[in-house]
Amino acid sequence: MKSTIRKFALGAMAAAAGMAFMAPAAQAAEKMKIFLSMSYIGNDWQAEAANMLKAMAVHKNYADKVDLQVQVSGPNAQKQIQQINSMVQAGAKAIIVYPISPTALNGAVKNACAKGVVVVAYDSIISEPCAYNVHIDQRKWGVESAEWLVNKLGGKGKVVMVTGVPGTTVDTLRNEGAKEVFAKNPGIEVVAEANGMWSQAVARTELSKILATRNWDQVDGLWMQAGCYTANSMQSEAGIADDKLKPCAGESSNGGRIQMLPVGTEVEGANGTYRPMGAQRWSSGSQNFTGALALKLAVDKLEGKEIPALTDVAQNIVTNENVKLCQEGTWAEMKAGCNVFQPAIIPNPGWFASIYSDLTPEVGLNAALVAQPEE
Amino acid sequence: MSAITSGGMEARRASSGSLRIGRHRGLITAFVAFAVLFAVVAQLSAVPLGYYDIAQMTTSGATLAIAAMGQTVVVLSGGFDLSAAAVISLVNVTLATFPSDGSVSPWTLTAVGVGIGLAVGAFNGFFIAFLRLQAIVVTLSTMFILQGITLIVMDKPGGMIEPRLSEILIGDLITDWVPMSAALLGVLLLFWYWLKRTKLGLAIYAIGGDIESARSAGISTRLVQFMVYVIAGGFYGLAGVFISAQTGAGDPLVGNPMLLQMFAAVVVGGTVLGGGRGGLTGSVLGAYVLMIIVNILLVLNVSAYFSTIAESTILLLAVLSASMHRKSVLAQNLRQLLDRFAAWRQGILPSQLTLSPRKLALADIRRDPSPERAQSAMAPFRTRHAEIIRYALPAYVCFVGVLLVTQYVLGNALFHFNYYNSLIVLASFLAILALGQGTVILTGGLDLSIPWTIGLCGILLAGMVKGSDAALIYAVPIVLVVGMLIGVLNGFGIVALGLSPIVMTLAVNGLLQGVALLYSGGTPDGFSSPMLRAFMTAKIFGITPVVPFLAVFGIFAVLLLGRTAFGRRVYAIGNSERAAELSGIPVKRTTIAVYMLSGFCSALVGILLTGFSGQASLGMGDEYLLPSIAVVVVGGALITGGRGSYVGMVGGVILLTALQMLLAGTTIPISARSILYGLVILGAIIALRDRRG
Repeated sequence: MKSTIRKFALGAMAAAAGMAFMAPAAQAAEKMKIFLSMSYIGNDWQAEAANMLKAMAVHKNYADKVDLQVQVSGPNAQKQIQQINSMVQAGAKAIIVYPISPTALNGAVKNACAKGVVVVAYDSIISEPCAYNVHIDQRKWGVESAEWLVNKLGGKGKVVMVTGVPGTTVDTLRNEGAKEVFAKNPGIEVVAEANGMWSQAVARTELSKILATRNWDQVDGLWMQAGCYTANSMQSEAGIADDKLKPCAGESSNGGRIQMLPVGTEVEGANGTYRPMGAQRWSSGSQNFTGALALKLAVDKLEGKEIPALTDVAQNIVTNENVKLCQEGTWAEMKAGCNVFQPAIIPNPGWFASIYSDLTPEVGLNAALVAQPEE
Repeated sequence: MSAITSGGMEARRASSGSLRIGRHRGLITAFVAFAVLFAVVAQLSAVPLGYYDIAQMTTSGATLAIAAMGQTVVVLSGGFDLSAAAVISLVNVTLATFPSDGSVSPWTLTAVGVGIGLAVGAFNGFFIAFLRLQAIVVTLSTMFILQGITLIVMDKPGGMIEPRLSEILIGDLITDWVPMSAALLGVLLLFWYWLKRTKLGLAIYAIGGDIESARSAGISTRLVQFMVYVIAGGFYGLAGVFISAQTGAGDPLVGNPMLLQMFAAVVVGGTVLGGGRGGLTGSVLGAYVLMIIVNILLVLNVSAYFSTIAESTILLLAVLSASMHRKSVLAQNLRQLLDRFAAWRQGILPSQLTLSPRKLALADIRRDPSPERAQSAMAPFRTRHAEIIRYALPAYVCFVGVLLVTQYVLGNALFHFNYYNSLIVLASFLAILALGQGTVILTGGLDLSIPWTIGLCGILLAGMVKGSDAALIYAVPIVLVVGMLIGVLNGFGIVALGLSPIVMTLAVNGLLQGVALLYSGGTPDGFSSPMLRAFMTAKIFGITPVVPFLAVFGIFAVLLLGRTAFGRRVYAIGNSERAAELSGIPVKRTTIAVYMLSGFCSALVGILLTGFSGQASLGMGDEYLLPSIAVVVVGGALITGGRGSYVGMVGGVILLTALQMLLAGTTIPISARSILYGLVILGAIIALRDRRG
């Protein structure tokens, strides 16, 4: 009698355990709880990347799989550590991270991985080996942009460098790559170097400082992590003709790409220096779709597929040879080769145009602008 | 900071019984705030919080808590330490350069970290205590110098921290009962309770309360001040060791964003800026209040753009709840309002009575023939303006030095009009901000809402103008009014609610950031009109239009501070708020007007920056906060208020701008630039030194 009861009890317990085991699986079949941990949101790049990620989450392929929650910790490593910890505590299946630091989050990320949470970082890096990373090769960015500039100058000339935020990996890698190329070309002389902080506004201030003791004719080319649009505008204001603009290698702002279009190209909404100038440019940057791609990869991983530890995405370099105006900015149109948008749609020239990837057909211009996925 | 210490005088007048509660009120409030927030998180958490989660929260907040403890010691002594966050970064990267193969013991690493902190503290202490330089400027220069050294040690994140250090500090002291971080904080607090009872501890409170009385009472104030910075440095060093253990690697920027948080933690913990009142226990709680906000945002699922708004609101509520007592500024204001209302109903308000004023018969000064009067009127310009010249001159002398170096290194400066034109255009932003921030500092306050006032106003303007010159006619006045309204908000919180200027303006800054993000949806559109752009960038006969505008602005500013009743009231409040009030100065109204002026100046800078850049961007004001404070103090103003002149501030502006122009034109490494920048600021204030005994 006793033993029957015990057997029964054991059976019940086993059933209960089985149900407990089943429950999360059943929930997962409904929706995966995925968090986005952002450190800083005070600029266009972050807003666009977050919009594209949100659009991906509501695309018809993902809407019934993913429950996305977006959180901002502020630019403080301790807070992002605590945020990641609390996301794990709240039952996250995956955490997409824009990391404030490549190293500071390692402990928290390792702990998340140990609990079976998939952690994917986009654009910036998490160095903890269990995290997945999605970004461009920043050193290669530095090398290729500098090589283009050296070729344009025929290996000889005075170059002004405007860098990013000192002390960050992205800035250091880009500068290293570029300086290595410049050093190999003895004809190239770097005459001035300033921190542009990846901001068009700061780039303008810094260039003005440099030009206080120099004329434009004492500069042959510009290498700017951000600010080629501003540099061309300043030359235009200084009375330099469109066909005499100095070659500039730099970021992927929509304003900068509009300036690359041949003079006379029909665009809607052009104004001031936000117009086709035929400026000689090399334009690429951190890709804004990396967040959306990170979400896709996280879902793949949760569905049991293998994903690479590092997804090195294409740089999507735009030069005067391949710059092409989009009419609407659908993914299909961008796949056909267009890479810059009408000023009438994008009134802010500092807006980043690097939103296309063949890996993310779910998101196009509307995703970056208003978090709406493609049909 | 006289605007803040009046609360302290209230407490001193209170009876000893309520004094006991009053003394711990800040601490009690911080504890209640923390308990409430923690209860919210625990209640709303999807999964119940276990020991593990709480241990993790304790560990995450420990770095900020330890650093805030150090800062508190400085604040208690009446000082201010801006180098704290830079020490944390320096210790972190230094430890990351040691081999992580087990060859260096964790104790050696801890000793190195704390040692760096102590050494930096001694450096600060030497200049502050023995050369009697202003703490805020010395530590600002130290901050720049340390940031440069940090970049030399490590120019990007990397390296590995000895894993045994992490094992010791991040684990548990007693498994599943006491996390090591909690134990460490406990030990530090015990150290503080012991220190507080020593002669040195009492002396720290004494010099914070009133340094002159402390000196008269026989305390060797210089030695105490020196020790304060050394002790604080030790705390920062330890915070650097802790964050190294926590992250396991080096990052040259890891500490920097903690600076403002640290001050917020100190104030939330009930320590009064200006010195004399508060303690380290409160600051630890304050740090955890700030950290747990992250969890609150998560459990309440606050959407991203609202996060800074929610954070600021929680910060304000936590500090405000401290003023829910009978003696608080808020309660006094309410009582006063009720009294006035009652008086109005009875018809006995002074304005309702018909009084015949009896004026004292004063001799007409202008026609006074007395010899002294005549003599003083004829006193030479140099004598009448001796103080202004004395404090303003060093900045101008240093500027001439920078100018000569620029001419030597880059050329095209000394005799080139273009150089001066560019200098003034680039200096215009800081020169305008200096009037706002400077006036606030003259009253003993501080305006930290400048960055996002600039950002929001720029975005509003660009959004309204959208390239149309005609729209400027209404857009510019609207934006300037918005700036003044932001100032009213700041002033209201400080005057009516009795909040510390640092907390109020920091919270308003967060609110404005949220508003700017919501308004722009994260990507501001709109752009400057041709006329506004030309105002900042065109050249008419080689002169940019903003240059003559700035000249007019400068004259206006000098007259405003030097020749008007408003200006005299500002100085009076800065020297002693109490004395000003007793002399019949409308302190509250004047304080609000001062913050309105600062909001106006920030809005103006937002407009001009939009014209200069062609468009507005989020975060475009971020680069202007610390410089706006630096130029004011380099120009000879006293951070505690009451002393300084606009002429001096402009000297500070052109010195720092010229220095930046010199550095930007070269290829000197960024790290060396930061060090040079710090050294020049330090040099300028050594020249400002008070030589009086």
